[in-house]
Amino acid sequence: MKLLLLGMNHRTAPLELRERLAVADPAPPLQKLVACDEIDEAVLLSTCNRVEVIALTRRPDAAKLRLRSFFRRELAGDAADLTPRALDEALYEYRDGEAMRHVMRVAAALDSMVVGEPQILGQTKDAYRAAVECGASGPILDRLYQRAFATAKRVRTDTRIAEGPLSVARVAVALARQIFEDMTGKHALLIGAGEMAELALGALRDAGLASLAVANRSAERAAQLAVAYGATAHGLDELPRLLAESDVVLTSIGGDRPILRVDTLEPALRARRGRPIFVIDIGVPRNADPAIDRLDDVYRYDIDALGAVASENAEERRREQARAEAIVAEEQQRFEGWFAALRAVPTIRDLRGRVEAIRARETSRALSRLALDPERREAIELLTRSLVNKILHAPLARLRREAEREEGMAYLEVARLLFGLDDADWDTTGEGAEAPPDPQGPGPDEP
Amino acid sequence: MVVAIHQLTAAIYLVACLASGVGLALGSARAARLAIGALAAGVLLHTLALSLLHTAKPTPPLTDLASAASFMSWAGTIAYLAMLRRAKVSGLAVLVAPMAFLGVFLAALHLPEAVPATAPASGSVPHAHVLLASAGFALLGLAGLSGALFLAEHRRLKRHRALPGSGLPSLESLDRAGAVALATGFPLLTLGVITGAMWVHTLHGNALTGSPHEVGALVAWAVYGLLVLQRFAAHQGARRCAASALAGFALLSAVVVGMGVL
Repeated sequence: MKLLLLGMNHRTAPLELRERLAVADPAPPLQKLVACDEIDEAVLLSTCNRVEVIALTRRPDAAKLRLRSFFRRELAGDAADLTPRALDEALYEYRDGEAMRHVMRVAAALDSMVVGEPQILGQTKDAYRAAVECGASGPILDRLYQRAFATAKRVRTDTRIAEGPLSVARVAVALARQIFEDMTGKHALLIGAGEMAELALGALRDAGLASLAVANRSAERAAQLAVAYGATAHGLDELPRLLAESDVVLTSIGGDRPILRVDTLEPALRARRGRPIFVIDIGVPRNADPAIDRLDDVYRYDIDALGAVASENAEERRREQARAEAIVAEEQQRFEGWFAALRAVPTIRDLRGRVEAIRARETSRALSRLALDPERREAIELLTRSLVNKILHAPLARLRREAEREEGMAYLEVARLLFGLDDADWDTTGEGAEAPPDPQGPGPDEP
Repeated sequence: MVVAIHQLTAAIYLVACLASGVGLALGSARAARLAIGALAAGVLLHTLALSLLHTAKPTPPLTDLASAASFMSWAGTIAYLAMLRRAKVSGLAVLVAPMAFLGVFLAALHLPEAVPATAPASGSVPHAHVLLASAGFALLGLAGLSGALFLAEHRRLKRHRALPGSGLPSLESLDRAGAVALATGFPLLTLGVITGAMWVHTLHGNALTGSPHEVGALVAWAVYGLLVLQRFAAHQGARRCAASALAGFALLSAVVVGMGVL
């Protein structure tokens, strides 16, 4: 059995291509895929940044062709403008150990555009759940994904890869939480407008703000934003009152002169009786005079300061990535060992089956000649089973262990040879050449 | 027995110190929770030690520095754990745990054997004085620690340093913890000063003898009275409140420890 992964992500394919291949419901295409002879199990992960399929197969080369065709026909809808070459250039391919590692790295958000982002783990779980529900995932991929989820959890717990927000909006929220115990009950004021300020406002609103106010030179624009964010609209003339009521002030407004100065904030601070104000200045040129930093209860962050925090967080995540990769390597090794040990399963199953058949027959033969009550018969059954298990335990354990190594395959071959597990004309009576079976009755030394 | 339990308590508080330090350095929520758990376990054991100390026959004097330090650590830790229900200040354990450890460690080193209290130190008034003053000192110490952490956080935020992601308390939480500690610590300190004056009156027939002990205690009480007024009546800013709480605690420590009033 081999693992084969084909896919594309934000590094190998442009957004237009990823969009065309993205699927909302992976179940129908997956069911078609596992109906093919080449594919035994499969999971399809489709997010805005990646589309990839991992498959368990006995025939990896045929499965590769099938998966390429799956991407082109099933996912891309056989689009005429998508040439095989363009698809090939966008697709990456991983096999066995590399495929396992890739699945674990994806779940742990090490392969994400923003390393350590939390969404991908949930998306991977959804993809796996969909595969299980439609019957596309089997015991091997089940095990791989459980391992991948455990790896992602370890990475999050044991490293700081997911700590420290990276976007300006998230940094603003995180800073607000350093200042305020709880965002619920807090009031925010947006002065002006702008994409980044609105993003930050949206993130703060999601954090649980009690109320939002929008102040703008243009009453019409203020009203538009107020509707979009469930806020109240105000003119700039109301600023002194609004500042006194606001815990968080976002500014992004044009003008040569800073709108937030010491003289505008001091009365507000007096009215607030020592309660702090967090000023997020996203305006360029700056809307908040840096001189307000000398006011004790004002915490001002401009776009450069927010960006610097985000950069330091990104640097910290890069440092933590090495530790996270080591965890992935360790988990991959563990899974690889388990996966490789599966090679021993047919040999172990055959050997056990053969020995059990001999035991059952010989026990039955012996018991038929002994007039024993059921209790004693049961005791003899147990005895023979126990003997067989004890004799087989060490060699089977050794076979499992050896199967984890490539060189260990020789042990499996030797075992098959010694016990004649591949002999088509195996003597089903178990007597062998030295003691041919006596269809007429018991052997000469038997009573 | 009491000394042995104190030693064990000190060991548990030391675990809390290490766990809170690791929690802060690595940003580990698990280590931070372990620190709080260790503090809670330490307090239980500490309660047992103090109960044994209190019920020992003969009752040892609680007016020595070792007993008072043990009681202060206990009261401070209890107050901190109670505060956790009202304010998100679990990160403050990084300062509370070392203080608790030092107090109990000092007590374990210097606790006297069970000897009867001297006549002047026996009776309910000296006992009440030590308990009230120690509890007040512990709570005001908690206010000082909150202030210290507030100032460090304030400085970091003003300088636009990256977020440590370590679960440090927010400025608002620290300010609230400081306010609660001051609001409960100051009345206890006041009662401690009053019972102290009653004790002195019993001994000398006069509540004021002008001893360094009395002068230091009255100065510290007056300073704290001023801090309480500034915080709750004049609505002083949070940073100044934090700095005042830290300075006030430094003064009180100098009075208690430096002048050997206990």
